This record gives sequence, C-alpha cells and structure tokens, in this order.
Amino acid sequence: MSKLIVVACGAGINTSTIAEDSIKERMAKDGFTDVEVKRILMADIEGYLSRSDLILVVSMMKIFRTFDVPIIQGMPFLIGSQAEKDTLLDKIVDIVKKA
Amino acid sequence: MGFLSTSVGWFLSLGSSVIVMIVLIILGLIFRVGWQKAVRGGITTGVGLAGLFLVVNVIISALQPAVAEMATRFGLAKTIVDVNWADAGIAWGWPGVAGLIVSLLVVNVLMVVLKLTKTLWTDVWSYWHGSALAGFVWAATGGNVFLGILAGLLYLVAGSLMSDLTAKKYQEFNDMPGIGVPCGTTVQASLFAMPVVWVLDRIPGLKDWDASPEGIKKRFGLVGEPGVLGFILGIIIGIFAYGTGTGDLGIAKILGLGMNVAVMMMILPRMVSIIAEGIVPITMSIVQYMRERFKDREIYVAVDCAVLLGHPAVMASTIILFPLLVLLAAVLPGVQMLPIASLAVVPFWAGAVVPYTKGNVIKTVIVLLLYAIPFMYFSTMLVDSQTEAYKMMGQFTEQIGQGLKLGSWDMGGDILGFFIRIFFGLFS
Repeated sequence: MSKLIVVACGAGINTSTIAEDSIKERMAKDGFTDVEVKRILMADIEGYLSRSDLILVVSMMKIFRTFDVPIIQGMPFLIGSQAEKDTLLDKIVDIVKKA
Repeated sequence: MGFLSTSVGWFLSLGSSVIVMIVLIILGLIFRVGWQKAVRGGITTGVGLAGLFLVVNVIISALQPAVAEMATRFGLAKTIVDVNWADAGIAWGWPGVAGLIVSLLVVNVLMVVLKLTKTLWTDVWSYWHGSALAGFVWAATGGNVFLGILAGLLYLVAGSLMSDLTAKKYQEFNDMPGIGVPCGTTVQASLFAMPVVWVLDRIPGLKDWDASPEGIKKRFGLVGEPGVLGFILGIIIGIFAYGTGTGDLGIAKILGLGMNVAVMMMILPRMVSIIAEGIVPITMSIVQYMRERFKDREIYVAVDCAVLLGHPAVMASTIILFPLLVLLAAVLPGVQMLPIASLAVVPFWAGAVVPYTKGNVIKTVIVLLLYAIPFMYFSTMLVDSQTEAYKMMGQFTEQIGQGLKLGSWDMGGDILGFFIRIFFGLFS
C-alpha cells in the first residue's frame, strides 16, 4: 500500500511548496516509489486524517492540536541550513521506513 | 534601435504566459537549477498564469452585469470588480519582473552586508507584492519599465525594514526563532496595530473584553470556508441585482451568480498556487546560497506570511470580519468596490495583528476594521492604473474597453503602495 505524507500550510500556496519539493526530492533519491507527498491547506486536514495510508503530517505553521500520526514542524525547510534540512529529512525517512 | 524596438514588441506580443515561461527558464539557468527544473518551472508558471486569467474571465462575465444592474436599480455605485490575487498575474507577467527580482537580490544582500537590515529577502515568491505594484507603476507611466522596477524595489526594501521592526514579536508569539515576514500588506497591519492596540488597552471595559476563538469557529466556521463564503456573497449580490426580476429566471440568475463567485473563491487561490509551484523550485537554490552565506550573523530569514496563521484567534477574527467588512464597504460613501475576492487576504492580516493583541479576538477585529478603510478608498482611487496594467498585458481588453474596472485590496489598496504610486505617477 502506498504511504501518504501531507504537507499543510495556511494558504497552500508558497511555504508548503518549498517543503513538498525538498521531501519529494529526497524520496526520489532514496528510492521510495510508494510515497505520495501532498500539499494541502491546514483547513482541509480533516479529510486526510481518516485516510488509512496517512503516515505523517508536516506542518508549516505552529499548530495547537495533536493527531494520531506523527507530526513534524517543517520550519527548517524554510529557514534552516542544509545540515538542519538533512536532519529533518532523515527523520522523515525513518518514519517512512517504519510505517 | 529599430531592430531593438521591433524585437521588444515581438516579445511582448507573445502574451504573458509565454513571456513568464521564457523569463523563468532564463532565471533558472542563471540560478543553476539545471535544464529540467527550469523548463518544468517555466511551463508550470505559464500554465498557472493562464489559468488565473481564465478564472478571472469567468468571474468578470458573471459579476460585471450584476454590479451594473445594482447600479442602475439602486444607484449603488459599487461597480469595480474585485479580482484581488489576480494581481499576482500582473506581478509575474509584467515585462520587468526578472529585472526586479535580480535587483532586489543584489540590493538586499548589500543592505545585509552593510547592516542596514537584518532581514534576508529569501522568500522570492513574496516579491510578487512589490512586483504587482511595479506593474501598476509601469502602466501608470505609459510603459516605463525602469520606473516600475524602481517603485517595486522601494516597496520591497521598505518591507525588509518593516520586517526588522516586527520579527522579534512574530518569533516569540509563533515560537519560530529566526524568521521575519516582509510581506507587504501583512507587515503593515502589524505596524498599524501597535498604536491602535495601545489605545484599546487603555479603554476601560474594552481592555478585557474577549470572545472564545473555539466557540466562534464551531458555530460559524462554515462561513470561513472560501467556497461557502463566495456562494453566500454571490447570492446576496444576486438578490440586489436580480431580486425583483422575473420569477424563475431571477432565481436561476441569483443561484448562478452564487456558484460563480464560489468558483472564483476556491479556484483563484489554486491557480496562484500553480504559479508558485513553478517559481518556488527555481528560486530555492539562490535562497540556500544566501542562507549559507550569512549563517554566522543574526539574520531574520524571510518567510511567507502563511506561517502566521496558526493561532486559533486568526480564523475566529477573520470569520467575524467577513460580514463586517462587506457591510462597511457597502455603506462607506465613495468606496466603489465590494470586497469579495479580497476577503482572502484578511486571515493574513489577522495573523499579523494577533501577536500584538495577544490572541484577543475582539481587539483584532477592531484593529482590522480600521486598517481596511484606507484599502477601500485607495483601491477605488487608483483603480484606473491597475486596470490599465491588465490591459497592457493584453488581458480582458475588450471588456476594459467597454468600461470594466478591476480592483483589489492586495495589492490595489495597499497603503504604502498608494503613496509610492502617487509619487511615481508624477512622472507620467
């Protein structure tokens, strides 16, 4: 079964695109062909939470709630150094491997 | 010279989608992202731009007859059609966009090196605010690309200085160390909020008045959904325009207008999102380079205003503001545009104000009601140069010839932008 990562931000226009791009690139590089990375509006998240293939939420803003799946703060994708970005991507790869 | 002007003329005749595609491919090669990414980005952005104008066309043909009908029936002079983020189309499609991007990158790096600002303008997408303004000035000065770039540059440099003043507050409130938000109309909302909140905090009774964000979202949350909001607004305008019309036909027209406005509210931001999907990957490498270059300095890294939307008070204030802002624009004399598409910018304003009201919904609403008033007047006052910009890009020329006017709050009503446009208008 394929695995779904959603990248959520406030407007679904800019910030989530940046994170989506980085994650997709890493997934391709590590050869994960069964991972779908999808950027969404945080307001639309309810529809995705019930999906059984959802393994991770990457949030581009501070959020004030928790989910059944792990959640990662995506801010380093916007402002982090290459090293910080790689650490975060390693963490995501770990979650993908375990799921 | 003859050859030059002929080739410039030929280039412009290609249309904005093809131009932006070529411009982005060239930028991509300059920024060394490689052929594949450059071509993909260029085409994606061109598609987004074309899609954006398609959506605007739908809404013009639906809304223009309705506002005209309202005007003849009730003498309601609210005839400017609100297209808001269609301005992003001007921003990425006007002929000077590449020049503006490159010159801002150079000026910003210089300013950071000379310690004139701490904000590193890495969020290339958000240059669009300055670039749209540049497009308006380009149109107002009869096609002067140089003055356009200068105006846009001035606006964006001011953005980095305003970001310096607000960054610490955003960082603390949103728990995001190291960020800054130089986005035009958003960061101005913070500066506006500072004195207003100071006054509000000294008014007995108002000082501690608040409303529960969760309660508001639970009860009225549906209104915060763009599609639902658009449908309701379309129906209301439809009732005024066709309400006393001929039976079934009237109702069909009203429902049709509701659906068309809902279409715009949901699809317009998605088209903007496709434009961003093309631009962002192309600019990522330059962003990374700038970050690494200044990693040992205290720097505020520019991010999009969307990161400020997390707090529950943001959406709650926005929901209360929607009907109030429409009412206010309807009753204020001289304001000729009913906000519809422009309402989409309100959550971003709220995100910029909430750190200053400490999440207080009532105070946020008061601040933004006041903040919106200049936007209402400025967008009306300068609507002609904005409409001209669309026309000069070859969009909606036929309808504009028949008297159509296109306005917006973001960027058409921008406060700082208003003064820059008035100043550069002197050169026309």
